[in-house]
Amino acid sequence: MESGDDEGDGDHFDVLKGKDSEAEERAELLKDRFRLSVISIATSEAKKVNMEVAEPVVACIADLAFKYTEQLARDVELFAHHGGRKSVKMEDVILSAHRNEHLASLLRTYSQELKGKQLQNESKKKRSSKKDDKEIRD
Amino acid sequence: METSFDPDLIHAIFKLVWSSSAERDEETEAVDVEVGAGASKKSRPTTANHSALSVSCELLRLFITEAIERTAIIAEAEGTNKIEPTHLERILPQLLLDF
Repeated sequence: MESGDDEGDGDHFDVLKGKDSEAEERAELLKDRFRLSVISIATSEAKKVNMEVAEPVVACIADLAFKYTEQLARDVELFAHHGGRKSVKMEDVILSAHRNEHLASLLRTYSQELKGKQLQNESKKKRSSKKDDKEIRD
Repeated sequence: METSFDPDLIHAIFKLVWSSSAERDEETEAVDVEVGAGASKKSRPTTANHSALSVSCELLRLFITEAIERTAIIAEAEGTNKIEPTHLERILPQLLLDF
């Protein structure tokens, strides 16, 4: 969360920096939106276990999660390129979690559920039977 | 419905990372190779399909929920019902190893 890192030295750099600062602004905006999502997820999860979360904890988790997202982006890109593709598929994301067997199996069941839902939607567009049972079946 | 990430938001972050790494690739390639061998890389940037993004959202959601659940266990063991930074410190090494 560094704010204003070495900026604003001289007017003649503004032309060159115009593009960069614009990109930086967009990145900051994304980071803020991400942080808000993390806060809502973390507080709802804490409510489930009847706990209160101190603010710095959530901020720290948000920062970690953002770094993790960036790493994930680089990983899946690499996996997709290795597979000779330009488009990232579900398998690439699952592969990124292959070190943790349990996590990988969780993601696999999730992706299978997703596939099942897509098939259902294609056959019957109107059937709002929301399946919230995301337990592991093994 | 459980709260989770917006796939579009994750897609935007992914794109940001991919575009910046593509730029870096181009810079290094421009130094290494004079002839345009790296042109094909930039002309077709990496994309992600929708289900891949949904799975990424789930993965990140799991990261958050794991962090909270593990800190909650520590906080409970200490007899408080507020999660403090020290609780996070305790679980952080294993959490980072698990993801």
